[in-house]
Amino acid sequence: MTSVLLPLCERNPEPMALFSVSQTAFLLAFLSLRTYQSEGLSEPLPWAPESLKVSVNTTCQCLHLQWTVHNLAHHQEFRMVFQIEISRIKTSNVIWVENYTTTVKWNQVLHWSWESKLPLECAKHFIRMRSAVDAAKTPGPRVWSSWSSWEEADVQNSLGQDPLFIFPKDKLVEEGSNVTICYVSKSHQNNISCYLEGVRMQGEQLDPNVSVFNLNHVAFIRETGTNIYCKPGQGDGIKGTVLFVSKVLQEPKDFSCETQDFMTLNCTWDPGSDTGLLKQLSQSYTLFESFSGKKTLCKPKSWCLWQVAPESQDMYNFTLTAENYLRKRSVHLLFNLTHRVHPMAPFNILFKNVSATSATMTWKVHSIGKYYTLLCQVELYGEGKVTQHNVSVKVDGAHLFSGLEPDTEYLAQVRCANGDYFWKWSEWTHQNFTTAEAAPSEAPDVWRNVKTVQGRCVVTLFWKPLSKPQAHGKILFYNIVIEYLDRTSVSEVLSIPAPASGTELPLNQCSSQIRITASNSVGTSPASVLVVSREPGNEEVEEERVKGTEDGFPLSWNPQPRHVTGYLVEWCEQPRDPPCDLQWKNLGPNVTSTVVSSDAFRPGVRYNFRIYGISTERVPYLLARKTGYSQELAPSDNPQVVMTNLTSHSFTLSWKNYSTESQTSFIQGYHVYLKSKAGRCHSGSEKAVLSDDVVCCKYKIDNPEQKTFVVENLQPESFYEFLVTPYTSVGEGPHDAFAKVTTPDEYSPTLIRILLPTVFCILLIMITCYLKSQWMKEKCYPDIPDPYKSSVLSLIKSKENPHLTIMNIKDCVPDSIEVLNKQEGTRKSLTETESTKPTYLYLLPTEKRYSSPGPCICFENFTYNQAASDSASCGHVPVPPKAPPSQLGLLTSPENLLKALEKNYMNSLGEIPAGETSLNYVSQLASPMSGDMSNLPTNPPEPALCSEYKMQMAIPLGLASPPSSGSSSLSSITLLDEGEHYH
Amino acid sequence: MKVLAAGVVPLLLVLHWKHGAGTPLPITPVNATCATRHPCHSNLMNQIRNQLAQLNGSANALFILYYTAQGEPFPNNLDKLCGPNVTDFPPFHANGTEKTRLVELYRIIAYLGASLGNITRDQKVLNPNALSLHSKLNATADILRGLLSNVLCRLCNKYHVAHVDVAYGPDTSGKDVFQKKKLGCQLLGKYKQVIAVVAQAF
Repeated sequence: MTSVLLPLCERNPEPMALFSVSQTAFLLAFLSLRTYQSEGLSEPLPWAPESLKVSVNTTCQCLHLQWTVHNLAHHQEFRMVFQIEISRIKTSNVIWVENYTTTVKWNQVLHWSWESKLPLECAKHFIRMRSAVDAAKTPGPRVWSSWSSWEEADVQNSLGQDPLFIFPKDKLVEEGSNVTICYVSKSHQNNISCYLEGVRMQGEQLDPNVSVFNLNHVAFIRETGTNIYCKPGQGDGIKGTVLFVSKVLQEPKDFSCETQDFMTLNCTWDPGSDTGLLKQLSQSYTLFESFSGKKTLCKPKSWCLWQVAPESQDMYNFTLTAENYLRKRSVHLLFNLTHRVHPMAPFNILFKNVSATSATMTWKVHSIGKYYTLLCQVELYGEGKVTQHNVSVKVDGAHLFSGLEPDTEYLAQVRCANGDYFWKWSEWTHQNFTTAEAAPSEAPDVWRNVKTVQGRCVVTLFWKPLSKPQAHGKILFYNIVIEYLDRTSVSEVLSIPAPASGTELPLNQCSSQIRITASNSVGTSPASVLVVSREPGNEEVEEERVKGTEDGFPLSWNPQPRHVTGYLVEWCEQPRDPPCDLQWKNLGPNVTSTVVSSDAFRPGVRYNFRIYGISTERVPYLLARKTGYSQELAPSDNPQVVMTNLTSHSFTLSWKNYSTESQTSFIQGYHVYLKSKAGRCHSGSEKAVLSDDVVCCKYKIDNPEQKTFVVENLQPESFYEFLVTPYTSVGEGPHDAFAKVTTPDEYSPTLIRILLPTVFCILLIMITCYLKSQWMKEKCYPDIPDPYKSSVLSLIKSKENPHLTIMNIKDCVPDSIEVLNKQEGTRKSLTETESTKPTYLYLLPTEKRYSSPGPCICFENFTYNQAASDSASCGHVPVPPKAPPSQLGLLTSPENLLKALEKNYMNSLGEIPAGETSLNYVSQLASPMSGDMSNLPTNPPEPALCSEYKMQMAIPLGLASPPSSGSSSLSSITLLDEGEHYH
Repeated sequence: MKVLAAGVVPLLLVLHWKHGAGTPLPITPVNATCATRHPCHSNLMNQIRNQLAQLNGSANALFILYYTAQGEPFPNNLDKLCGPNVTDFPPFHANGTEKTRLVELYRIIAYLGASLGNITRDQKVLNPNALSLHSKLNATADILRGLLSNVLCRLCNKYHVAHVDVAYGPDTSGKDVFQKKKLGCQLLGKYKQVIAVVAQAF
């Protein structure tokens, strides 16, 4: 627990004379006191405190004590010690004991205050005191008076009727200090909880109605205070208080004073954090000067103006005091005014006599008195450089800048300080100016490209714009003069306006000298000379590869035996995009290597460099060609592969269109990957495992210009996948797009070779047959077959019976034809009728009749059939009037024949009317019958009822069946079976 | 007579807006003369209704702004710290006659005006950076002032009431900071509750 002692009455020192008198009196009193003590200690001390009164100030949580000293004689004055005891809650609980020493006079009311850490409303306090003469200078124990009676300080009785109170109210403390909060409950509730910004606090019970919370190192939360509140478990009586935590007042930092005009002093400092709160204003600042004794209250928090005394005061001793409700802090500063001069910034800067290389700057300064000299610092910024000069100035300053660049903007600035006692520079004052233009100092850097168009030389000139230090102004024109070396043509003069960086010139003659100059408003630059030669130069120089690095392309070449004025390297920065952005680099005659670097170089782009030597006649000739990549990249694409010649055992891959020149790296060759189910790799390939763990065969092609490959040793009817990818020093192309192929069957080609002609031939024959159907019909199956032309005949003749011949008509005996005209109604019986009608026998072959295996093919004689077709009176099988050709052809099949007969027969039965007159045929071989047929016997033998036709060809005996005995007397041969005879 | 009448309204206003104090005004007898400085608007009741609706529409926002600015424990203990436990708040009977309702409204507005003045004064000290709260408090006070004038006009013109006894809330100037915050919160909670009923009644 801390306390603040506030001796309110003993602040002023006594005069020395009074002190001497008092000291004498004090010694006399002390001697008498010692005597008194030696006589009897039981007697009370005559100067005991009395009339002790205690009052409470709740605003500062202070106990104020007020008392007097008993029996002090008039003009008597002692230095006394008062021992004060303070108890809390009960008298035996002493919480504070303090000895308060002071000088006591007669009839003096003494005061003493004590600030309680615990709010006084939270507990009763009891105070008592006793006194003793301060005998510090004399040996022996101190003799105390008796204790005064206990005085009680109790604020709780005046609190009111609210059930709950929280103390202290609106207390102001510094950040980091310790605070004690308490609540007083009059409702005897024990379940009261208290919170600090929503966080519950843990307290201790001081008595049944009072709890105390000790907050250590309280933090600053906000300027509007920290809410602390308590709420009982029941009811809604939330009570609270606000604790105002102030930031700790800091000592002012960087306290400094200076003058610009010897009229006022400007004192500045860093105030630190603001301690302003609702319960406390921000800290105030007071400036006190000890020599003059003047004091001023500084309203601003960080600076203050002090009027310099009109009389000559050189030395100043300032005390700056910062003060708030809780604390006070001070800093001191002693200085000589002339050492704290901070001049004002110069003004009115002007530039005179500005030429291309020089200028004069003038400025003015604020005077600080005629006895002082200013030191001015002049700085010049231009072309990335800074130059600095110091100039002494009384009133006006001037400085000449020389060695300037033409047509260049410069920034000049100046500042000044006290030249006698340097304290601080003034602020800068700056101004810009630009030098005048001059003629360009350098010839433009020129290069050319020569080509022949329709037999005429065309030169394309390129030049680089002059840099600012070279141009010395704005370039307006580029002048070109063409002089033909053979003097046959007149020189040409051209003027190309800026900012062109090239032009194309058709030349009358190739051999010419071109001079290029650049002009600005002041003059012309030196000329750059190029000679265009008739000779094309050494174009057969072999190209070499060069490897780029991070710094560029290192190029080197052999020194030339003949005298050269220099070398030149040219390249295209955009080789893929025409125009290729031609670049060049001029090098000295003794240089045989260089590094070409450019921000435009990109990885994976092939750059071609050409190195020229420049002869003394300014004629360039090609020395070397280099090609390379700044960084090689793995191929991003694979060739477009065409597959041809697919057989059951091989196919051919081709990628003729793949350009090795335009790839992202140098192509070293190709890998052909082949995937198959079998997984076997033949000679010439090796197994390779792809990134997806697929095993395949890899063929390697080392020649980048070999762009065909034959994959062999394949299996017929097998599925393969293949990929052709280029390989380089930095890797292969992607393995993503395998092409698929299935080999054909091994015999399919052969079959196709046979089948196609066969089908073609058949088709040809069918077409021919269709076109020549009539001819074929006549030849093969005419409607009336010619026996002599029948192939069947030749077949039979050749195979079965060479003696079989065709019967000749002239060999036949002519038949006689009888015409019978007989009425139908006269028929009496079938037998009679039949006997009267001529019979008709149609000779047909039947297989059943043959006893021998050989077929018997017969031909119907239509000559007779035609005559007998209308005669059906006897019901015999008629001959159809029109038989289809098929039935009239070679009837080799007995079934077909029978069917035809059966059909015709049925038709005949229904169609032929009975009783008509018919023309009967009489066999030539039958026995002649003369006279009327009615004369025929009534019962003729059955077989002889009809006339029979004898076969008109010779039939071998072996084929004919012998006639059955008694069945017929006729010699004719019946080929039909008996059961198949129709009557 | 005109001079006398011209001084009535300003006198009333001055008395009403004095923070924490005021002299109660007796209800004027019905037959007493009553005059206003300016002629009342013909559509006075509509204006009163609109002003009440305007106050009702902004009361909740004002309440929220207030308790948020006070910090913990206010936002989380609204029922205990900001409950409408204002014992001496003037009553209002929505089912009364228009004259009764206007008289009661006059008392309420007078009470609110004085209390809002105290709150505004306290908050400018307690929460000097809560500018939106200050703005809302000022806007509400402005509307209340206009409403008071209109109600008085109506009472005077139609019912010939020139004086109404009014009462004011406790003066908070001597109270501790926490108590000021709490009383202000309770008043605004009560205001939010009452203004809704009043706006509905008109």
